[in-house]
Amino acid sequence: MLFIAGLVIAAFIGVFYVWRNTTNPSIRRYGVGSAVAVLGASVSPIVMGQCSFAEHTSSVDKLLGYSLMFGGAWLALMGARTFWDRADGKEKSSAAVAGEIRTGGFRLGVWVPWLLLSPTLIILIVFLYFPAASTFALSTKLTRLGAPKSIDVCFTNFTELLIANPFLLVAYPLIAIGLIYAARFWVTHSLPGTLSRRGADAASGVAALSVFVALYAMFSPGGLDANGLLHVAYRPVYLNTIIISVGIVAFGMIGGLAVAYLAFRPIGGGSIYRTLLIWPYAISPAVAGVLFFMIFDPTAGIFTHVMDTWFGIDVPNYRESAILAQSSIILASGWKILGYNILFYLAGLQSVPLEQIEAALIDGASTWQRFTKIVLPALSPITFFLLVTNLTYAFFEVYATIDFMTKGAPAGKTSVAIYEIIRVGVNNGELGRGAAQSVLLFIAVIAITMWQFRTSGERVSYGGS
Amino acid sequence: MKYRLLALLAVIALVAAACSSSSDDDTATTVASGGDTATTVVSGGDTATTVASGGDTATTVAPAASGEVTDIDFWVAFSDEARLGFAQDKAAAFNAAHPDYNVEVTSFASYNDVFDAAILAVDSGEPPGLIHFFEAATRQALDAVDSSGTPIFKSVTDAIAGRTEILGETVVLDQVVSAARDYYTVDGSFYSMPWNTSTTVMFNNMDILNAAGITEPPATWADVTAACDAIAALDDGPSGCITWPNHSWFVEQSLGQQGELLGNNDNGRSDRATEVFLESDGMMAYLDWWKGLNDAGYYTYTGLQRDWDGTSNAYLAEEVAMLVYSSSDTTFFDTNATFTNQASFMPSNEAVDYVGNLIGGATIWMLDGMDTTTEDGALAFMNFFSNPENAAAWHQLTGYIPITTSGEDVLAAEGWYDESPNSKVASEQLAAAANTPASLGALLGNVVGIRDIITLAIEDILVNDVDIATRMATANAEANKSLSEYELLQGG
Repeated sequence: MLFIAGLVIAAFIGVFYVWRNTTNPSIRRYGVGSAVAVLGASVSPIVMGQCSFAEHTSSVDKLLGYSLMFGGAWLALMGARTFWDRADGKEKSSAAVAGEIRTGGFRLGVWVPWLLLSPTLIILIVFLYFPAASTFALSTKLTRLGAPKSIDVCFTNFTELLIANPFLLVAYPLIAIGLIYAARFWVTHSLPGTLSRRGADAASGVAALSVFVALYAMFSPGGLDANGLLHVAYRPVYLNTIIISVGIVAFGMIGGLAVAYLAFRPIGGGSIYRTLLIWPYAISPAVAGVLFFMIFDPTAGIFTHVMDTWFGIDVPNYRESAILAQSSIILASGWKILGYNILFYLAGLQSVPLEQIEAALIDGASTWQRFTKIVLPALSPITFFLLVTNLTYAFFEVYATIDFMTKGAPAGKTSVAIYEIIRVGVNNGELGRGAAQSVLLFIAVIAITMWQFRTSGERVSYGGS
Repeated sequence: MKYRLLALLAVIALVAAACSSSSDDDTATTVASGGDTATTVVSGGDTATTVASGGDTATTVAPAASGEVTDIDFWVAFSDEARLGFAQDKAAAFNAAHPDYNVEVTSFASYNDVFDAAILAVDSGEPPGLIHFFEAATRQALDAVDSSGTPIFKSVTDAIAGRTEILGETVVLDQVVSAARDYYTVDGSFYSMPWNTSTTVMFNNMDILNAAGITEPPATWADVTAACDAIAALDDGPSGCITWPNHSWFVEQSLGQQGELLGNNDNGRSDRATEVFLESDGMMAYLDWWKGLNDAGYYTYTGLQRDWDGTSNAYLAEEVAMLVYSSSDTTFFDTNATFTNQASFMPSNEAVDYVGNLIGGATIWMLDGMDTTTEDGALAFMNFFSNPENAAAWHQLTGYIPITTSGEDVLAAEGWYDESPNSKVASEQLAAAANTPASLGALLGNVVGIRDIITLAIEDILVNDVDIATRMATANAEANKSLSEYELLQGG
């Protein structure tokens, strides 16, 4: 019943999508649109045996079931749209594209490009798509390494990470999306340079932050719910991940640019100096963790010892304060990625147009103005690239550093998403839970990357004319 | 030109990123368990290899050898030179004495790594012969099955089948000290061969204690608190007073001392444990005392869970006067302490009758499915490994208790205990324990996860000043959920 209702809603979504995205749609197009949407929506319930709509499931389970159905419908419609756009002449047909780039090779047959692509495809399937699909499958199971059986638990591994109230789960993202659209509306309806536009810009920033706040509110703080399900306290993990990743990226990139800008100036022995700056990058995250542990450890630490014996200052144990523990992780991880950022910024600085800087110099621009108005925009493609790579690093490669420096101390305040995945999934052997958290991290990274590509399209300048 | 340079740099960086990320992964897996990289070491010095390879020497030394050498893989969860080295030396000695066999020691970073690797190896059809796995996870080892549902380990008692000698090596399984034998006997069967076995003892810096006017190591919680009061009053005293790792083993020891059960069904010994008790009176009393010491500034928390190194360093650096620790490092402290180091029993709760401390450590498990020749070789090696001389040497090297009564006899005859009285404390403490389910210790499923829940809750209590009862109620719910899921998947 609930499943059928979902299909009916999906059909309406199909009609709505066609109405929004095509000019002068025919009745037939509406029919096809709703059929495609129904098809897309039924994939996940069929694969999972409609488990989320079973009798004993909680409303949050049903909500997740519906989200997956409508998400599937939306993806199917997006796929269908490429065909419609081609039919409507909005996009070049493949024949036209092939005509433009026609070369000898393609005339041999359709299978030739596939043959040439096959090594890559095989590697992608074996090492990427298959493990990814297995992770999705695992995330719906209660299972352990080496256990003789596993039990299908539908969305429980996800439900227990979220708050138990389905209405708030829907309301929070809607409020965040509403704020974003309202801010965008304000921006488009205000003139540049006016007070109103400045207010609108500020509102856009707040609206973007509201997404993070909404997610924070959606994750569970832990505890038992009315259905007797013990929730995982995932809210602190989410917060730690945000604080530590943002810290690492900010420290790594601002520090990297600052050092690169200084090192770029002509200095004696500059090349040796610049090479040395890049060295921390060659160190593995584990070693970075050990190094900083050796520096700040309260018993055996060098820094602690020096401060105590030379200056008589009693340095507190960094692992017993949340702020110190998180800062030390940011420092160690940021320091490790610093060399990488310096490398790219050094290279990027060489491509900053000298003529423009000279012209600005003649016009009387100060050093700071030259830096912000010419150098920074010229570096924007590199900054964008580094933002993506640094975020990926901050999300995925900090496990070893954290494990050596704090092991999540104090009481989980430095336990970020990836640390939690390995702790739960590998160390405790709860594979299903670990997989569910991986899926969550996977979605987060995809969402952030998509958002970056969208927003940076407006701000990144690739130079040229 | 500059664009070309940029492109070149980008390529170099990408290649470097690819290389480093793969190596990072390697490190990360090892690091997860906090030890050295797994290394394969073929045991057997030059002699053994020559003998085994069937050269001229081999024909003279082992005329009976058909030239076929039976390999036995022995996976060990130690990676430090002393303990791994001991295993390698003994394997080499065994190989030299039995040219038909080649026991090959492989080192892993942790017990979990050994176990996970063994399960995967069984699935892929190339299992090792013997693996080294820790005491509290005995339930997990008994529950381990292959893809067809057959248990992957074979009972050592069953395999010995009453023999007193295998391949010329005397069987010592029946000489194992009672504390270890009772711990590892499940459903009436002694499954695995004990190796490293210890208990918790307290190490005392007698120089500081004497300076504070205390002549005997504190025996009870009240004694410890009183001693800390006295030490805090010293002008040039240490910054802390006492420490021990925030490891669930110490909690389990305290429950044993107070006669409290951690799991139902007699700590999982009369039947499978299906419930854990993290809110018992004994638990509350222990945590109250611990938290009190911490709040008074007497207990030094290093800020890391399961921090063996940090606590040991704090003791050796005289930042604390007392250290509750594993007896496994008795020799290490005797050698490295620059002060008068005296071992004593783990302090206990004076308000209740003392029941008993439990063992800790690990045993050697034998995998099922080997042919008779290989299995006999594995059995012979295990009994050789713990023969009286080896058991005594192992004890002297580390401080793990001599695992057999015959080993104890060798040490007594040598006069070792008169020479190093600290080494006797662990055995004495275990001998003083009553043989009850509480003091034997719990056998629980998913013990790693449950221990993790306990230590995390304690860290929260120590660092964040949360209410003990409330925090343990949450931990209790989490641990019971974890155990019930384990039982659902793996119980019978």
